[in-house]
Amino acid sequence: MDFWTLTRRNLLRHPLRTFLTCGAIALAIFLVCTLRSLVTTLDNTAAAARNERLWVQSAVSLFVGLPQAYQSKIEAVEGVEVVCPWQWFGGIYQDPKNFFSQFAVDPVKTFDLYPEMKVIDGSLDEFVADRRGAMVGQGLVDRFGWKVGDKIPLLGALFPHPEGSDVPWEFEIRGIYEPEANNVDNQMFLFHWEYFAETYELGEGQPPDAGTFVMRTEPGSDQKRVMREVDALFENGPQRVQTTTESEFQAQFVSMYGNVGFFVTVIGGAVLFAILLAALNTMLMAAREQTRDVGVLKALGFSDGRLFRYLLGQSFVLCLVGGAIGIGLALLLEKGIGKAFATMLPNYTVVPQTLVLAVGITLALGLLAGLLPALRARSILPVNALADR
Amino acid sequence: MWIPLSYALRGLWQRKMTTLLAVFGLGTVVAIIAGVLALQQGFETLYAEHGRKDLFVFLRPGANSEGESTFPPDRAKTLIKSLPEIAQDEAGQPLASMECFLAVRRYKVDGGETNVPIRGVQPMTFALRGDDVRIVEGEPFEPGTDQVVVGRSLLGRIRNCNLGATIWINTTPFQVVGVLDSEGPFSSEIWGDFDRMSDALNRENPNRIVAQMVPGTDEQAFAKALEKHPEVPAKVLSERTYLSSQTAALSATLKFLAGLLGTIMGVAAIFTATNTMLSALAARTREVGTLLSIGFRPIAVFLSFLIEALFLGLLGGLVGCLLVLPIHGIRTGTMNFDTFTEVAFAFRITPEVLTTAIVFSLFLGLLGGAWPAWRASRLLPTEALRRR
Repeated sequence: MDFWTLTRRNLLRHPLRTFLTCGAIALAIFLVCTLRSLVTTLDNTAAAARNERLWVQSAVSLFVGLPQAYQSKIEAVEGVEVVCPWQWFGGIYQDPKNFFSQFAVDPVKTFDLYPEMKVIDGSLDEFVADRRGAMVGQGLVDRFGWKVGDKIPLLGALFPHPEGSDVPWEFEIRGIYEPEANNVDNQMFLFHWEYFAETYELGEGQPPDAGTFVMRTEPGSDQKRVMREVDALFENGPQRVQTTTESEFQAQFVSMYGNVGFFVTVIGGAVLFAILLAALNTMLMAAREQTRDVGVLKALGFSDGRLFRYLLGQSFVLCLVGGAIGIGLALLLEKGIGKAFATMLPNYTVVPQTLVLAVGITLALGLLAGLLPALRARSILPVNALADR
Repeated sequence: MWIPLSYALRGLWQRKMTTLLAVFGLGTVVAIIAGVLALQQGFETLYAEHGRKDLFVFLRPGANSEGESTFPPDRAKTLIKSLPEIAQDEAGQPLASMECFLAVRRYKVDGGETNVPIRGVQPMTFALRGDDVRIVEGEPFEPGTDQVVVGRSLLGRIRNCNLGATIWINTTPFQVVGVLDSEGPFSSEIWGDFDRMSDALNRENPNRIVAQMVPGTDEQAFAKALEKHPEVPAKVLSERTYLSSQTAALSATLKFLAGLLGTIMGVAAIFTATNTMLSALAARTREVGTLLSIGFRPIAVFLSFLIEALFLGLLGGLVGCLLVLPIHGIRTGTMNFDTFTEVAFAFRITPEVLTTAIVFSLFLGLLGGAWPAWRASRLLPTEALRRR
């Protein structure tokens, strides 16, 4: 009788129990993969950013804009190629729950700065030509079922429309983009900075601030120097600025999420502990029932070492099957989970490292759950085992 | 005839190792869910329970938070002076304060950045707040000077937030002269003089007005009237309502997380419970056969096994509660998604959390035990007795 036959027979002796244990392990591994992916996605947003782009933002607060006049001053710094204003709009689409990012931007410069954003429907030219046009991400199209030509009303929570705070701003979708790399959010709603600025001035009597500026430096220029010089321009106010690379800029946001990563890790650890107990329980139950079998096998001349390997192997097989299902589930549901977390955490992905980790955990689980029963089998005497009824 | 309760419970006792592992497995699952709920409770009560009902908050119409709201200063002053519903102090001054508010970028002591709320308040604020806001160390800031007090929760977490330190706000240095304490979210804020703050932040517009109302002012009716105010329309709500509205996003996220974990881990736990009960049945097949053959009805056997499973669930729930209790009161900080600022608060194990944990665990035991119990009740005595 070889290992596989014995293992199969033993595991299938109680098909329901094996199925339930496998299921529990699968769910736990799935959960661990998903939780871990949330953390890596959070970290990778920053890592995937392109460093040829620099961000100029207020050194004081994320909620404070920079005067428009800063743009020409920044453009005058040697080595700066393109500067584009980037203003958070924070409007409400139908219901505050439908949260997504909206930005007033320079349409031409934005697509120059972001070559990884590809227009897949409508066209960039149409977007540029229409003052009230909008360019939206594929993620939003999936979420709200929009199409090119749709008119989208946004109630200005931060920037009331000049005709009244209950009058929405209206935009028409002229294009849909999809980022090629996952460093760009695919759920942005972009519209013309000029249209925004002029409408705002109509109501408030003064031009709006530009929230931040995105810029690119000329190839070969010294980025560190450019960053230093831009910061120095406004050292004495009216609004101090901080220039960072795109990855630093995004890392800031990640660090603001604070200990989310820590919480998720703690939860994942507890999940693993719970499931280890479950797997151990099953293996012990199986081992108890196999006491007689072990006695018979020993009486037939099976060595202790061989039996040890058999019992341990049985636990590995059980855990590996469960783990494989869990990993498969995590990969299968990647898209769906990505959608569920899209507003908070765009571009959810399960990275290979997570899968390696999951396999490692599964193996460790198999070892821990199988070791105790396997060790116990060594001390079983055929006489006692066969007498045991 | 019913099977005595002690029979069911003795079954758990006989297989101590299995029971212990199952109970701790269930307990861990329950503890995870309870822990997430305790986080949510701590966060929510910080806001919801510490807002006052007699203080009203005035915002720009259409704004959902003070960060979004702004008033021209002259209009804000008009508003404060012209409303008879605002209470007055002994000197006949309206009990109201303009406030400016901004979440500023600060560095954490242990690295990384966060957003800390800075609030500029007028002297009347302290009369308004009474004992709700206390200076527990140092002195209150002197109005009209570049002095600030820092919230107690910021000490040790945010750089430069300690007595005697200098905090730079844009281009102005502020001296930390005191430590402010409050049961509510104010203990995660930095407070200074309204005029000096507006000046330093380069924002002359107040963000909101807080006023104490004459007793008996009706929130709904007053809000409706102000919405249509001819000169200064405003959105008005009580501070309690306002603060409660600032927790929606994170609270919903945490509840969603608890629900998601509860579902997935719950199914896994039910699997485990079913396994445990199946092994209980396997060990006692002959006994069950005996019981059935001497006249116990199948329903009695069914209930006996179900009670055993429920008891397993109860034990799991209790262990879960015991495991999670030590986190009660542990302070932590996290980002409030509504204000985008970091708030510090303590985990709170409320009776609701414990009840949810126990009920959840009983439910897991019930679902896990149902199938084995049913199988036990359907055993044929003749076959069961023949089994070893």
